Amino acid sequence: MSELAVDPDALREQVKDKYREVAVDPHRTFHFHTGRVNAARLGYESDVVDALPDRAVESFAGVGNPFALRRLQPGEQVVDVGSGAGFDSFVAADQVGNTGRVVGIDMTPEMLKKSRETADALGLAHVEFREGLAESLPVEDGWADAVISNGVINLCADKRAVFDEIRRVLKPGGWLQYADIANGRPVPPEALRDIDLWTG
Amino acid sequence: MLEDAGFVDVQIGDAVDTFGGATGEEKARAFEVFGYAFLARKA
Repeated sequence: MSELAVDPDALREQVKDKYREVAVDPHRTFHFHTGRVNAARLGYESDVVDALPDRAVESFAGVGNPFALRRLQPGEQVVDVGSGAGFDSFVAADQVGNTGRVVGIDMTPEMLKKSRETADALGLAHVEFREGLAESLPVEDGWADAVISNGVINLCADKRAVFDEIRRVLKPGGWLQYADIANGRPVPPEALRDIDLWTG
Repeated sequence: MLEDAGFVDVQIGDAVDTFGGATGEEKARAFEVFGYAFLARKA
């Protein structure tokens, strides 16, 4: 394994701190867009977003649209890596319908609490949220037809470990459809080792 | 990295100005950071 730029545990704690704020105080100013404004910027279908209550959308901090290149199919089993307050899981639940299943995975307790309460409020029996890490998903081998994620993998120190884990939970031929940021200019090595820059 | 990890048929969507108008815009512009959708299949 190649040397990692930052310590994975230290980075996780920093990410938890940041996204704890997004969960409990979503209307403050962050360095990224959040909520319904963000969903509109990223091209989500307005009828699906408009039908969701504020608590399902306000903490959405995605960086792109994981449904832009492929729509999920009815009946599919889906894993949402880094599900946050559940916005993408709820969009996925709409696409797969009641014959499908969506499992959201997140490591931040405040996000998990919010997503679970929202799923209960919406009566979505085919959506559940589990505590876990992107590098060790609490999902059995070959369970998923599709894995979605949004703005999460760039915050993981060991991206290869994340992709290996996603591959493990996918069925053969299963889809990985995710959104993330990428830089067009190289980031200096000293900046890559500055953990504060990963989340800010 | 996706292909090295055993994924095939990799597609990348159009760039999205993820940070435009946000307080992180200046830093994003410095490194030409944009959001993208990615699609791939498990081989």
